[in-house]
Amino acid sequence: MKPDIESNLPTESLSFPEGRQLARIFLPAGMIALILTLSGIFFNAERFFYSWLTGFTFIASILLGALFFVMVQHVTRSSWSVVLRRIPETISYQLILLPVFFIPILFGMEYLYEWIRPERIATDELTQHKLPYLNFPFFILRNILYFIVWGFLGYKLYKNSIALDHSGDLSLDKKQRVLSAPGILLFALTVAFASFDWMMSMDSHWFSTMFGVYYFSMSFQAALALIVIITLFLIKKTAFSKIINQAHIHDLGALLFGFTVFYAYIAFSQFLLIYYANIPEETLWYYYRFEGSWIYLAYLFLIGRFVLPFILLLNKRAKSNHALLTGVSIWILFLNFLEMFWIIIPILHKGAISVHWLDVASFVGFLCLSIGFFFYLLAQNSLIPKKDPLLAESLKKH
Amino acid sequence: MSQSSDTQKDLLVKGNHDFASVTRLISDIPQQKTPAWWYIAFGISNILLAMLLGMVILLIWNGIGVWGLNQPVGWGWDITNFVWWVGIGHAGTLISAILFLFRQGWRTAINRFAEAMTIFAVMCAGLFPAIHVGRIWAIYWIFPLPNSMQLWPNFNSPLLWDVFAVATYFTVSTLFWYVGLIPDLATMRDKVKGFYSKIAYGVFALGWTGSNRHWQHYEKAYMILAGLATPLVLSVHTIVSFDFAVSIIPGWHTTIFPPYFVAGAVFSGFAMVLTLMIITRKLYHLEDIMTIDHIEKMNIIILVTGNMVGFAYAMEFFIAWYGGVEYEKFAFINRAFGPYAWAYWIMITCNVVAPQFFWVKKFRRHIGLTFFLSIVINIGMWFERFVITVTSLAQDFLPSSWGYFSPTYVDVLTYVGTFGLFFTFFLLFLRFLPMVAISEVKGVMPQADPAYYRNNQKH
Amino acid sequence: MTPSSNTYGILAEFKNPADLMDAAASVRDAGYTRFDVFSPFPIHGMDDAMGLKPSKLGWIVLIHGIIGLLGGIALQVWSMDIAYPVHISGKPYLNFPAFVPVTFALVILLSAFGTFFGLFFLSKLPKLHHPIFHSNHIERATDDGFFLCIESKDPLWDKNKTIDFLTSIGASTIEQIPEESP
Repeated sequence: MKPDIESNLPTESLSFPEGRQLARIFLPAGMIALILTLSGIFFNAERFFYSWLTGFTFIASILLGALFFVMVQHVTRSSWSVVLRRIPETISYQLILLPVFFIPILFGMEYLYEWIRPERIATDELTQHKLPYLNFPFFILRNILYFIVWGFLGYKLYKNSIALDHSGDLSLDKKQRVLSAPGILLFALTVAFASFDWMMSMDSHWFSTMFGVYYFSMSFQAALALIVIITLFLIKKTAFSKIINQAHIHDLGALLFGFTVFYAYIAFSQFLLIYYANIPEETLWYYYRFEGSWIYLAYLFLIGRFVLPFILLLNKRAKSNHALLTGVSIWILFLNFLEMFWIIIPILHKGAISVHWLDVASFVGFLCLSIGFFFYLLAQNSLIPKKDPLLAESLKKH
Repeated sequence: MSQSSDTQKDLLVKGNHDFASVTRLISDIPQQKTPAWWYIAFGISNILLAMLLGMVILLIWNGIGVWGLNQPVGWGWDITNFVWWVGIGHAGTLISAILFLFRQGWRTAINRFAEAMTIFAVMCAGLFPAIHVGRIWAIYWIFPLPNSMQLWPNFNSPLLWDVFAVATYFTVSTLFWYVGLIPDLATMRDKVKGFYSKIAYGVFALGWTGSNRHWQHYEKAYMILAGLATPLVLSVHTIVSFDFAVSIIPGWHTTIFPPYFVAGAVFSGFAMVLTLMIITRKLYHLEDIMTIDHIEKMNIIILVTGNMVGFAYAMEFFIAWYGGVEYEKFAFINRAFGPYAWAYWIMITCNVVAPQFFWVKKFRRHIGLTFFLSIVINIGMWFERFVITVTSLAQDFLPSSWGYFSPTYVDVLTYVGTFGLFFTFFLLFLRFLPMVAISEVKGVMPQADPAYYRNNQKH
Repeated sequence: MTPSSNTYGILAEFKNPADLMDAAASVRDAGYTRFDVFSPFPIHGMDDAMGLKPSKLGWIVLIHGIIGLLGGIALQVWSMDIAYPVHISGKPYLNFPAFVPVTFALVILLSAFGTFFGLFFLSKLPKLHHPIFHSNHIERATDDGFFLCIESKDPLWDKNKTIDFLTSIGASTIEQIPEESP
């Protein structure tokens, strides 16, 4: 049954044990950076919580985007992506760690969320109206629910895939699909409400039905960027290069291109509708984010997160140009952090961009820790889902 | 993989066809004697079309007061029908362009058919805003033409965006459809016997020979058109949603409208493709090409987009409460429990509840149920647009000027008449053009891949 | 005039896409440049087998798209800000966010025209007639036939040698195509 081409490919033995060495660099680096960030609580508690939330929403967006990638591949029974599916699987497995990162936020609720401050509740009618939803116990309950859903999906999809590697039991493949279909529905609801809870409710008056979709569009673009970076890195370092061909890279590039456009579409639609109707309760959110030097960041997202990648990746050959793809992806990943920064920090610092070293530490910390943990996990298993029934087809992609 | 061609399971075309038999299967249809049912259906469609024409004349003669429009409901069935028809059209582009970019080989069986549906649906849609302008003899004012008053159309108006979006959509869909047709028209030219039909197909085939020097540019052109049509289809329904969402009417102004409208459009469009496809494959014995696997895949897309629509309903409802804006809260409570509650609950039942059947594989592959649900969904999506348009207008800010919209017979007959327009064209398409993309179906058969022969020689 | 001087070319039929592709590669390797293959659908990898350069269509489309972009912006800036400025809902005359939808539609429209007409420009269509239609078999190229034609304009053209060559690479039928209608 197996085609000939497979026999001379190292599908059985392909792994990346060197990942441990990388983990040994990235994990401590991330730890140190996060501890440094945590130390901020002693001298600038307010800023610390804002920086932490920025880093948290940044890393959560990537992990969630990767989870969505895995689920969509299962549901559509897509064959092209099988060879590189282990990468997003391993990324989204880290969702089980997300609640740990969330704990510090619980101690900074009063700094971050105005709806919890008693003086705000007492004087503001709208906040009172929202009390049944925006209150501390329910907030915690909801977040526990999100973490259970994501953790379960991330954990199961990863573990089943690893188990399939060892046992070759094809019923596991079916299980993945059965898990993913309702998983996507749950994902959509939880991500939307999580984005409301974490970011939208920081301004307790503001609302936008699109906000969940907006957060998702950023997540998926950033997750694709990270998948591209890691795939190209592994191609450089391992025999992965024999498995993944230009056609796979081109498809990844095309997806990154497509979801860059999708991000722009969602972000612009949200802005246009609010700008156009010009109702005070909505425009205020954009007002603060366009005030003073903050507007430059908004322009940066327009140019840097849409126009530039769009032009650079428009050409067919550019979509499989390794150096270009890596560059664009790193840039998008960085802008994803910056956009979280632009959403969160203006609440604290109105009128002018303010960068604190805690922001940098939080960014470096979350990213390094996640990458370190990723390589630590990756080193333990095969680089590809080697017993996946669609693998042969995926290898043959041209 | 090549060995799996021995089994029927993974094949896109069933029933052991070779290239010649696929050609015959499809190109024979326009050459056969016209079946009796076709004349009957065409006759009915023509009567409806004539009725539509009568209604349009009545409207233009008397003014748009012959519809049920009045203060406060100035947009009624016309906009509902416009959005509904445009939405239906979107499935065609989705199948032909987006599924092409995602390399979904199964689309080849239905794309021609669905694209034809798109074009005719957009024609029906475009009719409504055109006749709604009232003074239709001045409709050229919507185009930026230099005129003696030195006035220009208002580019700040979403209604003008609509003009550009829908006109572009119609043009690009037609070009895309025609480019896809060229190789098949050449096949028809080479197959038909009659002198005049040979000339007719020959002229439109533009001298296509199947030369690879042409195929090379052709494939590139097809890819580019698909790449252009994909953002276009998203933008069209987005801009349609802007018609509502840039305003400040409660229930209309909500940021989720763009993706929500697009999902709804795909949802209803796929349902319409299914309705038409299930009838056509039966009547023309195309079960080998439009297989049950196609129906199942389309049902999955219906399930996904149906849930996206449900998600949007939930978000709207939640944010209406969460936002705490009085009018917004009222608009949504009023939708569910006010005078139009009946329409709202039809919408919820048809759009959110009905597609949930498709979680079950057995139901997804059940033709009778699929046919029934596809009609249910289209009813539901019509009501969605009705609920959005009318409930928000009928009861907005001032209770003293609230009203209730009732359609007149002109509303109803105009809407019914558009089916005449649609089916007149659609039946002509079925009768005279190859309804399946012959060259594309051949392209996804295993025999089309040179590797197929190499592997078979080796074994 | 000798009969060979008004021969358009030699048309050879092959059994299946794989044979046709091998044949195209052999013809290319033998140094022929004026040849073409005919098939009912595009065959994956045939462009390389024939040694065709990538299509230039993308550039034509890009130019049209840029014209659409600049034209769309120019139209709206001129008519809304210069020709007849009107205050609308408190927005500035140059209301760029509002110009996006129409600009976008025009980019797509012009690009689609560029693709459509560029396709015909590059493939030199429409054509009312082509000598290849004198063949008795070519009509099967839109059904299930796979053909290769070497034209008499090729610098390496030698009728008998070409026929021998095509036979040697596995053509199942060989046919001379006359330039004029027989």
